[in-house]
Amino acid sequence: MSADTMDGAGGRVPRMAMERWRPMLLLFPERIILPVLTAAGLLLVWEIVVRHYEIPPALLPAPSQVGQRLWEVLPLLLEHAVPTTLESALGFVLASLLGVGLAILLTYSRLFSAAVYPTVVVFQLIPKIALAPLFVVWLGIEMQSRLAFAVFISFFPIVIATEAGLRNTPPDMLRLCKALTATGWQIFTSVRLPYAVPYIFSGMKIAVTFAIIGVIVGEFISAQKGLGYIIIFASSQADTALILAAIFVLCVVGLALFGAVAAAERLVVRRYGFA
Amino acid sequence: MSYISVDRVFKIYGGRQGPVEAVSNVSFAVEAGEFVSILGPSGCGKSTLLMMLAGLEATTAGAITIDGRTVTSPRRDVGLIFQDATLLPWLSVLDNVLFPIRIMKGDLATHRQKARELLDMVGLGDFHAHKPAQLSGGMRQRVAICRALIHDPHLLLMDEPFSALDAITRDDMNMALLEIWQRYHKTGVFITHSIREAVVLSDRVLVMTRRPSTVVCDIRIPFARPRGRDLGETLEFNAICRTLREHIEAGHRRDRAA
Repeated sequence: MSADTMDGAGGRVPRMAMERWRPMLLLFPERIILPVLTAAGLLLVWEIVVRHYEIPPALLPAPSQVGQRLWEVLPLLLEHAVPTTLESALGFVLASLLGVGLAILLTYSRLFSAAVYPTVVVFQLIPKIALAPLFVVWLGIEMQSRLAFAVFISFFPIVIATEAGLRNTPPDMLRLCKALTATGWQIFTSVRLPYAVPYIFSGMKIAVTFAIIGVIVGEFISAQKGLGYIIIFASSQADTALILAAIFVLCVVGLALFGAVAAAERLVVRRYGFA
Repeated sequence: MSYISVDRVFKIYGGRQGPVEAVSNVSFAVEAGEFVSILGPSGCGKSTLLMMLAGLEATTAGAITIDGRTVTSPRRDVGLIFQDATLLPWLSVLDNVLFPIRIMKGDLATHRQKARELLDMVGLGDFHAHKPAQLSGGMRQRVAICRALIHDPHLLLMDEPFSALDAITRDDMNMALLEIWQRYHKTGVFITHSIREAVVLSDRVLVMTRRPSTVVCDIRIPFARPRGRDLGETLEFNAICRTLREHIEAGHRRDRAA
């Protein structure tokens, strides 16, 4: 508006041209095509650089070599992806339950909050990866140590987000509930928890990626199976193509888990009609 | 005995720089069926007074009695309307109106019919399935009014319900509230800082000032009901507004002198 009036007639011509150009661009699904083009371009540059400078595959294999290795060992990788996926998912679910539960306690009990919240915050500050070996010392090399570590690393974001969400209820809404002589349980289920739902989901989206990190780190240290184990094994064999192939599968796993949470969020948001 | 009696009520908060008198020695009475506005500048304690009437805040001293019972906690025969509509964004308009019934575990089937009637009355009959975000500010506040009426309370407590709306919508809402009053015969306490709004709506206007936060005058508004939009153009209306303004300004002078 201001640009139109300030530039006068001269400024209007390119703007009109832009407006005609935009719908044409929108005919292509630019949100799909553009990122795919970017990724393809990067892979192409990678391929060319590796071939041109004859970089040894142990240092950096070309994307085509990684693709080939992926194809060769796909059954093996998929087999190892199963425990990684399951442990990540289970760790995430446990972290969500624990995180939401702890956040509810923190918001509802002033005493509990005063006693526990500072400790929660201090734990937040610890570089949690550094504690991973301790979990092996305490819980051994089986699934439970990786699971416990995944829960430990991923439940903080849920606690913080849920807590913020539960405190997000408009004060007048709480007054209205009290004026209607609502019980604490009614206020919680019909007002406070629904108000917190978008917050809980944003915490869960962070947590699900953290849970995968937790499981992979656990597998680095202790496991005899899983994608983290494959990565460590392949690096000991200087099989860089296998490392990258395993990481590719890991990306797919991460995307699937994140996608599941995002889909659940969309479902809930649509069902309850937030926003 | 009056329907509401407020008897030498104080509200004192413990502040960092010593105690703060939010409400200081306020006494007044409201008869059943009366509409009384409490008019005053922001910070004069009028909202605190309303919260004490609603049983959401305790009095520091003095007593509030509604319908023969001292107020110590919220009563179910009271409807509340705030400055913001405070609707639940995930519920439809109809479900928001039914919210008090759900909380009080009333019969939803019979009240659904009543909710539709209330929405029809405020001109939102076609919007019962909409979500609050799809409505304008004025429409949302109409929904809040319906919600306050759904459980058929005797008393409506309104805390500056129209002060967040634009002037034109605000006039419309005043007319809508007058119509509702004509139809449902409630007792009302209405907080506002608009002189004209107070005079248009009320049977009596109480003026509150800051320091001390107390009622300095109690003026009867003599206009017959039903009242219309042209009321604001009469000489008598403007004379009453002037009197009220003088009381408010005298309060300001005392405030500055203190």
